[in-house]
Amino acid sequence: MDIAIKTIINDVQRQLLENQVDIFLGYRKLDGHSIPHGYTRNNLEELSGLCISQNRYPLEKAATRLAQKHPNLKIGLIARDCNQRSLNVLYTWNQLNPDNIKTIGVNCCPSPVKDHGDCSYLEPRTTGPYKQEHGMDFNASPKDLVDTMTSQDRFERWMYEFNKCIKCYGCRNICPVCFCKECSLEHDGLVEPGVLPAEVPVFHLVRATHMAGRCIDCGLCEDTCPAHIPLRLLYREANEIVSGIFNFQPGQDMEKSPFSIIGDTIEAQLTPL
Amino acid sequence: MDCKYVPSVCSYCGTGCGVLFEVIDGKIESTLPLKSHPVNQGKLCIKGWNLHEYINSYMRLKSPLIKENKKFETATWDEAITATAAGLDQVKQTYGPDAIGVLVSAKITNEENFLAQKFTRAAIGTNNVDHCARL
Repeated sequence: MDIAIKTIINDVQRQLLENQVDIFLGYRKLDGHSIPHGYTRNNLEELSGLCISQNRYPLEKAATRLAQKHPNLKIGLIARDCNQRSLNVLYTWNQLNPDNIKTIGVNCCPSPVKDHGDCSYLEPRTTGPYKQEHGMDFNASPKDLVDTMTSQDRFERWMYEFNKCIKCYGCRNICPVCFCKECSLEHDGLVEPGVLPAEVPVFHLVRATHMAGRCIDCGLCEDTCPAHIPLRLLYREANEIVSGIFNFQPGQDMEKSPFSIIGDTIEAQLTPL
Repeated sequence: MDCKYVPSVCSYCGTGCGVLFEVIDGKIESTLPLKSHPVNQGKLCIKGWNLHEYINSYMRLKSPLIKENKKFETATWDEAITATAAGLDQVKQTYGPDAIGVLVSAKITNEENFLAQKFTRAAIGTNNVDHCARL
């Protein structure tokens, strides 16, 4: 067995036995699939199967749900950088209490900062020839798009992408920082229920607006989108505006979102997108 | 207090997407796509995403019902199967086996579909068997 995994298992076992955590959310192998699993003092014998998964699931979303049912539960979890960022967002929006959460950090996606990454997600995905011609390049950066395409072209491409939407709500359901009890996407005034295709671009822009100042750029939404809409790019674009005006990066630390502060006057100049 | 994830197959259509049920304290709280499943590759449609809602629905039937005197009464599986068999047998005795037809489903497994057609041909004695996907 991998020494790194062994260390993690020993760590988790100690934390469980010393009552530092009551449940530890990690992964296990089941029928060839790596799936999340909650390890507790009642199933210590299963702990030897604890593993790290190439497939990312929003463990912190499960933690949020657990904390709603058991407010004082001490939860431990395996955390990549993206999990850590969304935990920070959940702390600042009072969805989780940082005193009750303990994380064990694991390697994440390769990047210029971390070259020992496990996850291949952030390696450039190949954009096929059809997609290059008719769709949005997966790896394009918003700045490149502004430089290389006219606003008319960009608008047409986005509308093409949005029109593929099957309105599965998967982007919202998988999102680790989507926790609202009442979701704007289920508000009849904004999004008409039971109507397909989704109203474009309202459906997607409603979500994009709400992701501004909250999206931690984990990419789970784009991963789960059956229509391959470049959602990550869209939310990155929305966030670019927020970080430009407020100098705020969601999830970077425990700083509160500028949108959660009431009473301050902020003067912002409209800038051409 | 426990939290586990149970892999399963979506029961809505014949595609057979892999789903993962998030079970907290014995209750299914949410449904996720199974990321490593070869069929849906971590994606789901709106019905798959909401599987837990019908499982937890108060309208869900949890036991068979038999209609007696124009009213549905709760019954055990043994009673229900006996009543169904008696009904089918009566039709078969009165009008012959070709008066019965069986429609199988894309939502059940290959093996169950096989059993259903075998039952139709061998037990009932008719070739009137078809599949909902041909409707």
